[in-house]
Amino acid sequence: MISFELLFPVSIVAGFIGAMAGMGGGVVIIPVLTLLGVDIKHAIAISILSVIATSSGSASAYIRDHITNLKVGMFLEMFTIAGALTGAKITLAVSPKPLYIIFGLVLLASWLALLFARHQMGNTGPQDRLTRWLELEGSYPDQVLGKVVHYKAVRSYFGAPLMYLAGIIAGLLGIGAGAVKVLIHDLVMGLPPKVSTTTSNMIIGVTALAGASVYLVAGLVEPGLAAPVILGIAIGAFLGTRLLVRMSNQAVRRFFLFILLILAVEMIVRGVRGGL
Amino acid sequence: MTDDPKTGAWQNADARALGETQRQFDMDAVVGYILLIGVLIALVLVAGALIWRWMNTRTLWFDYKVTGMNLFELIVEEIHLAAKGAFRPRLLMSLGIAMLMLTPFIRVLASMVYFMAALRNWKYSVFTAIVLLTLTYSLFLR
Repeated sequence: MISFELLFPVSIVAGFIGAMAGMGGGVVIIPVLTLLGVDIKHAIAISILSVIATSSGSASAYIRDHITNLKVGMFLEMFTIAGALTGAKITLAVSPKPLYIIFGLVLLASWLALLFARHQMGNTGPQDRLTRWLELEGSYPDQVLGKVVHYKAVRSYFGAPLMYLAGIIAGLLGIGAGAVKVLIHDLVMGLPPKVSTTTSNMIIGVTALAGASVYLVAGLVEPGLAAPVILGIAIGAFLGTRLLVRMSNQAVRRFFLFILLILAVEMIVRGVRGGL
Repeated sequence: MTDDPKTGAWQNADARALGETQRQFDMDAVVGYILLIGVLIALVLVAGALIWRWMNTRTLWFDYKVTGMNLFELIVEEIHLAAKGAFRPRLLMSLGIAMLMLTPFIRVLASMVYFMAALRNWKYSVFTAIVLLTLTYSLFLR
């Protein structure tokens, strides 16, 4: 029943919806694959591979624009990678049922985070000693404001363990968990929204790699599924991002967020019912 | 007034910040292009594998399995198969997956060189080394 001819267009749509809603394609493709009859662990493994493609693709442009903070990224990657290894190992060990429920709940939480996203400026006040020692500060040329924005990160002692948890979620569910990471960067570490989004994008790539390695050895990466999904999501995300740049319409974004809400509820219901 | 000390201080700070940005320019560009080129090569390999498969068999589905192999064993296996004359579309497909997974790895490797050689920042050289070691460990998992 599952064929390239079915999966390829479905993956393009998944990548497109993910990009339009401001999330990765993983949150869309995993529920869709499971609806098509793919085992959730195989779906997670394929999704995390496609996450490497989409996050690296978009991170590329942001890094070249000097918005991404390489030091913040490198420091936090130590924690997210360890988390991803833990998360993927947990997925291999547990039964599918809790995975559906956790997936739905994380999607729901990310959904709320996106809907109520606050756009405050980054912290410019004094830093704590650890964060200052870690040299976690920076500046970037903001094209909208027309000036160089300076910022100083704070509370890295709290951000780091939280990023380990974000890594667990990413590895466990095969998603980028970008919304969770951005939330930690914004609210806990006081990074400006642009820096937190783009730096999170860079972190997602290596985090997904750690998770993908675990799934590859476990034999969950099926090349038959991987080919259409990776290509499709990359194309869909590319188109979605291009369109998103030209649109500032909140109504359109809310429509795509609504689709994510349905997917979240649907996953929870399937997990609770256990019929899968 | 141009000689307003306050304005001057602001301009100096901005100029310093821009200077830092300029110095980072090369590395940001290198890291950015590593990610872009790596992903593009991976996607082209997967697309090439599919086209090749279609020309050979008129199907777009790969039915081989990758079991009990880490990334390096997968690459070795495929090259081994190819060397024995079994030159098949799955070679490109597996190399596409491998390229995709190696892209963030190469990015971290480049950052390591940057922090060590260009910035001589030992703190971040150590952090990058930890990231690199953990990733290497994960790639060699059994």
